[in-house]
Amino acid sequence: MARMKFLCDADRCIDCNACVTACKNENEVPWGINRRRVVTINDGKPGQLSVSMACMHCTDPPCAAVCPVECIFPTEDGVVLHNKDLCIGCGYCFYACPFGAPQYPQIGNFGTRGKMDKCTFCAGGGGPEAPGSAEEFAKYGSNRFGEGKLPMCAEMCSTKSLLAGDGEVIGEIYKERVVRRGYGSGAWGWLTAYHQDVET
Amino acid sequence: MISWLSVIPVVSERKDGIYLLPACTSFEMDGSRTASNRSLQWGEKITDPVFESKNDYNTMYMLARKFGFAEQMFKNIQVENGDVSAEDILREINRGGWSTGYCGQSPERLKAHMRNQAKFDLVTLRAPKDDPEVGGDYYGLPWPCWGTPELRHPGSPILYNTNLPVSEGGGTFRARFGVERVVKRKVIENGQEVEKEEHDNLLAEGSYSVGSEIKDGYPEFTLAVLKKLGWDKDLTPREVETIQRVNPGNPDLVSWSTDLSGGIQRVAIAHGCAPYGNGKARMIAWNLPDPIPVQREVIFTSRPDLVAKYPTLPDAQQFRVPNIGFTIQKAAVDKGVVKQFPLILTSGRLVEYEGGGEESRSNKWLAELKQYMYVEINPADARDRGIRDGDWVWVSGAENRSKAKMQALITERIGKGVAWMPYHFAGWFQGVDLRSKYPKGADPFVLGESVNSLTTYGFDPATGMQEPKATLCQIEIA
Repeated sequence: MARMKFLCDADRCIDCNACVTACKNENEVPWGINRRRVVTINDGKPGQLSVSMACMHCTDPPCAAVCPVECIFPTEDGVVLHNKDLCIGCGYCFYACPFGAPQYPQIGNFGTRGKMDKCTFCAGGGGPEAPGSAEEFAKYGSNRFGEGKLPMCAEMCSTKSLLAGDGEVIGEIYKERVVRRGYGSGAWGWLTAYHQDVET
Repeated sequence: MISWLSVIPVVSERKDGIYLLPACTSFEMDGSRTASNRSLQWGEKITDPVFESKNDYNTMYMLARKFGFAEQMFKNIQVENGDVSAEDILREINRGGWSTGYCGQSPERLKAHMRNQAKFDLVTLRAPKDDPEVGGDYYGLPWPCWGTPELRHPGSPILYNTNLPVSEGGGTFRARFGVERVVKRKVIENGQEVEKEEHDNLLAEGSYSVGSEIKDGYPEFTLAVLKKLGWDKDLTPREVETIQRVNPGNPDLVSWSTDLSGGIQRVAIAHGCAPYGNGKARMIAWNLPDPIPVQREVIFTSRPDLVAKYPTLPDAQQFRVPNIGFTIQKAAVDKGVVKQFPLILTSGRLVEYEGGGEESRSNKWLAELKQYMYVEINPADARDRGIRDGDWVWVSGAENRSKAKMQALITERIGKGVAWMPYHFAGWFQGVDLRSKYPKGADPFVLGESVNSLTTYGFDPATGMQEPKATLCQIEIA
């Protein structure tokens, strides 16, 4: 069974924000909510590194473990989805997530949080809406996955730093880069997300 | 249709003789479009121009009519009810564009390329030779596309490719600078140093494109060159007649670039030769002010001590205008401008925005990524000035008491003593937000100060290019 994963090869990320823009445009994500972002560390110093981060669709996702209304769940493809009808905007998942993926629109004064929003792997939502329907799009964004397509962010990545798809396949692509081309390991977040080492 | 205003219309209180005309975008007009790979495409109008805007052609026609030379200017161009024919404009360019090889790309050929896009190879850019409409053409007929459209030259995707015949898109180095260069050299003769004139051959030696009947270098083709080779007999009577009309006094001087019949180009190519000759590549540009680039301090330099040794070029009249860089540089050094403006100011590009940024700052997804104009400052310079990351600062420029207000980004990306700004912002001027001056709905999401309001005097002597990259500034907390 294919298991969907993201892999960002930080050795290749050039901080161009094309993934961020592609995500926003594909899913009509409102201003202020970032399902994906590019983080740069050691800016302007030796060892500067950029990495594109979103929900990693973890094995045994900690967000799901802490959700008091159990609205977050992994699908059989390993995509972590959630149901906005059930979400109460408590923010627990934000604290549990090691990647800062969950986002919340502000819906009132005093920073009142709305329903959680996060990357869906462009696979629609975890609610009762029909896959690919206008209702689903309005709540969760695009359902490219249902059409057999991969997330827009990775499809747009100009350096192929950000890979998305079957973990076996993208793992092989990355292994090829590391073994054949002698890269260092720049697959940021894999250890945390998938509890395993990248073979080098 | 969304339209974008440049910053000029919102500083309309200035009385500086600039007039603005409402022009539509290229989506609102037919016509040929040339890309930076020298390929052309035929673009079709997608929608009518919005509001009272007009396309470039019709605007030019109306202006020409007002000035009274529309008859001559549009002699060969059809105008119907004020609408200028885009096809006729390209044909007019084709009729005169011999020197750039902008002559073979007729509207009919370009439209055939658009119809047959799928047939072109993605790597070689070439269509199969047996195709009835576009056979053997390179996509978009990249110029030089020699001769008349009827010659069906395929275009030249790679300049200076001697592995292909000229008729197949090959080419040599243009013999642009004559056939020889006279150089005075000091030589020792009979134990004495004497100055001798030497003649350097500027034509290619032992290099020529495949299929060339001349197995050596050769000059640019003129009627005289054709006569010398005995190839003038290949010209048709009509071509000869046109050549006579171009220069009735001395038709021998008519060249590949002035022969309006295209005959000289046709005959040269038929013999496997490049119309512009076959010369050597020029590594020393002896007719430029600096044949080989040398160190010259910028006009507003942070190192005035170097100006005496490395001054900018002397003042001179260039094209239509004087270039007084030397005077300005000297005055800046004498006044000690660097004491007042100790930081080097330069500018550059962000990935989020493009050009002046009017269009990309009007895109909500891109605008969200960079919402404020900023200046990058090194932590050491920021510490000296008590500036913290995100603080509002005034940046003052070294000329005209220019100043601009923006936020500070403290980062080691930028070296000590240097300040950097993105050049995609506009819509603020000297600390004032001009958003209210934009017509309703035409204001970009993000506005900010423009870096070029701070840059200073300086023009390249050969090209007239302004100096927007190296000047001085001072920064203080706002």
